[in-house]
Amino acid sequence: MKKRYVGFAVWLVLTCLLYFFENNTDTRIVLACTLLMPFVPVLRRGLFEKDTVSQQPKAIPQTIKTFETREEDDPGDVRAYLPGDPVNRIHWKLTAKRDELLVREQAKNKTAEEMEIKTVLEAEQPAANKLKKHIFLIGFSIFLFSLMLLLMIPSANQGMQALLNRLFDASEAVNAYAYERFDVPADQPVAFAAVLLSLIGLSLLGMTLLSGSRFLALGLMAACVLFQIYFGLAFPFWVNVPLFALFVLWMMKRPWKRKVALTALTGMMIVSMAVLLLYPGVDAATEAASETVRDRLSQMAQSITGTTHEQPAGENETRHVHTQTLTAGGQEARTDREYRLVTVEEEQISMPHWVDYLRIVLLLLLTVALVILPFLPFLLLNQRRKKALDARKVFESENVNEAVFAIFQHVAAWLEATGHGEDNTPYAAWHADLSPDYVQRFTACEKLFEEAAYSTHEMKEEDRQQALALLNETEQALQQRADWKQRLRLKYKECLWV
Amino acid sequence: MRLEMEKVLAEIEKVIAGKREAVTKILTALLADGHVLLDDVPGVGKTTLAVALSRAVGLNYKRVQFTPDVLPSDLVGFSMYDRQSGGFSYHPGALNDANLLLGDEINRAGSKTQSALLEAMEERQVTVDGVTYSLQKPFLVIATQNSVGAAGTQFLPYAQVDRFLVRLSLGYPDYAAQMEMLKNRQGVNPMDQVQCVMTRDVLISMQKEVQQVVSRDAILDYITRLTLASREHEAVDVGISPRGALFLDRMAKAHAWMDGRDFVTGNDVQAVFRDVCAHRVLLKESTNQTVDDVLNDLLRTVENPDRHSRGMWKQ
Repeated sequence: MKKRYVGFAVWLVLTCLLYFFENNTDTRIVLACTLLMPFVPVLRRGLFEKDTVSQQPKAIPQTIKTFETREEDDPGDVRAYLPGDPVNRIHWKLTAKRDELLVREQAKNKTAEEMEIKTVLEAEQPAANKLKKHIFLIGFSIFLFSLMLLLMIPSANQGMQALLNRLFDASEAVNAYAYERFDVPADQPVAFAAVLLSLIGLSLLGMTLLSGSRFLALGLMAACVLFQIYFGLAFPFWVNVPLFALFVLWMMKRPWKRKVALTALTGMMIVSMAVLLLYPGVDAATEAASETVRDRLSQMAQSITGTTHEQPAGENETRHVHTQTLTAGGQEARTDREYRLVTVEEEQISMPHWVDYLRIVLLLLLTVALVILPFLPFLLLNQRRKKALDARKVFESENVNEAVFAIFQHVAAWLEATGHGEDNTPYAAWHADLSPDYVQRFTACEKLFEEAAYSTHEMKEEDRQQALALLNETEQALQQRADWKQRLRLKYKECLWV
Repeated sequence: MRLEMEKVLAEIEKVIAGKREAVTKILTALLADGHVLLDDVPGVGKTTLAVALSRAVGLNYKRVQFTPDVLPSDLVGFSMYDRQSGGFSYHPGALNDANLLLGDEINRAGSKTQSALLEAMEERQVTVDGVTYSLQKPFLVIATQNSVGAAGTQFLPYAQVDRFLVRLSLGYPDYAAQMEMLKNRQGVNPMDQVQCVMTRDVLISMQKEVQQVVSRDAILDYITRLTLASREHEAVDVGISPRGALFLDRMAKAHAWMDGRDFVTGNDVQAVFRDVCAHRVLLKESTNQTVDDVLNDLLRTVENPDRHSRGMWKQ
């Protein structure tokens, strides 16, 4: 099973490598199509899984039946003939032998039916899991396939670029440089690209639905953030809020909640992206906000890296003019190709400085870490200490056996923490270097402990007092003997001891 | 140790010196109502031990020296045609009225004879010609296997060794013990001084008490974990059987009772683990570990119930 997956992976990597190093478009199409090949049997099995499930139990009762007929020769399965029994149930061989009419018992057939039901019930569970896995694989293959087609087939590729252009048109004021990158006429047909993109979206959605994987969410989020930063696109806030929510969800532990929420959010993200791609239209306010953010970021980058960008004198004015043009009407801004030449300097600013951004992020993380770090041990230890105190509540339990047991466990933990006993050795081998007086009391208490742990006797109140006295004595003795390092260690252990 | 058992031990020690531990184990096995396999060299006092034990407890003692031509009917008895009565009459074998049977060199017997004995050990009854005769109570078999001069012998197969509760070995006495033994036998035979200090009925009631000893879930859990671990150990081919687990529990109960308790602790299980399980573990041929290594390994790695059974009160 695992070998097969390794084989798949190797084959996938090889295909992808070939695909990227191959220049001939036709060969690449063929390669992309072969990508779907190994998933065909999976696809078939995945889709027709239900049939095989319903077929399986049919085969099992048959084997039971043959087994039954063999057992019917056993005289234990027959009874005397009663009027009304069908003739074909008469056991002729035994009848001849015993000189009376004997009939085969029917009782066992019922158990066979029960078994059938059971096997059907049992078979369904793993089949459902398998189906899930198969659908996941299919989604993955469709995702890869669409992505490759999108990247490779000229019409699809150009269609996507045209789609992107539409998007950039909307935020032309800051993204003029994009025109140089995607030099595709705006009237390029986009239907093919849209279909492929929606395929990608759907398969991603399906995969999220099935797996509830946190990494998928993280990847999606990262992609969105990159998209925003790199292209300077300011999504409206109803996209960014779910983005944050996605991150929170990524940290959540309940798998099913995560799954449902993730699916909803992925769907939302995909829809919002599609809307942005197909019906671009960014209002001036968002545009201005995005502008300010970018300015601030570049200023921060400058102050951090120490490098100063050449600030063209008229920049602010040009920007002002552009904002005005935008407010005047997006249509006008979109067609303004001359604009490119004017904003060459601005392009330099709006071009992302990856290293700088990375530094900013790292610095932020470092600051947060530095703020949190000193409090961390206290937070952790305090929680543990609370738990430790809770554990001591058992000492007052009404069940004396339980109390004695818990007390002795504490004593053992103390001794273990100071190196007087080893993990799995019997208690008799412990306390080697303690005073003989103490050893005597310890041994007596060990007897109590054994009685508490393994017998069904009711123990008395004195026993609890004796155990408590031993615990106190142990604590005091060990504290006295310990040097400061060990004392610290003991304090820590006391917190840890739950 | 219980006073009664102390007395029995004292009687046996009149004839066997320095073997207190092994004798105690045999007594424990007797209490647990199980059989003992002695793996030993000749002449270390197996017979003496058995005779002394049977005298001290007042048991009916029988001895069978196994050779290749000992037949099953020698053990379980046989029916013979009786002309006077005109029917078959049953002649009991060695097993029928024995409380304590010493099967010497069981590995020299044929497989048929071996299996007849082992079946009787398990069922505690023999069936001859369709009539079932139940054996005496208590019924203890001490079988011996000599590994010296093993040519032409059939060692007990694994499945049959599994039926013995414990496998022990007496081993040679040390200097002091042997000197004492030699001195004791100047003139009188110490066997004559062994007195009966217990009756069969008392022994049976003790066996019943042993059965009443409590093994709580924590102990059963420990036994289960030990046996499971033995089956998964890397050097082990065949691990401890479920029967082994049952025997381990039984022997631990007897051990606890000997110690004067009516409940089993983890230490009881550990104390009897090696004796009960050494003959139930088959090692892989490729390994260079010994059975002792493996068992010690298990005792070390499988978590002691003292540590493991936190929250046993919830059960």
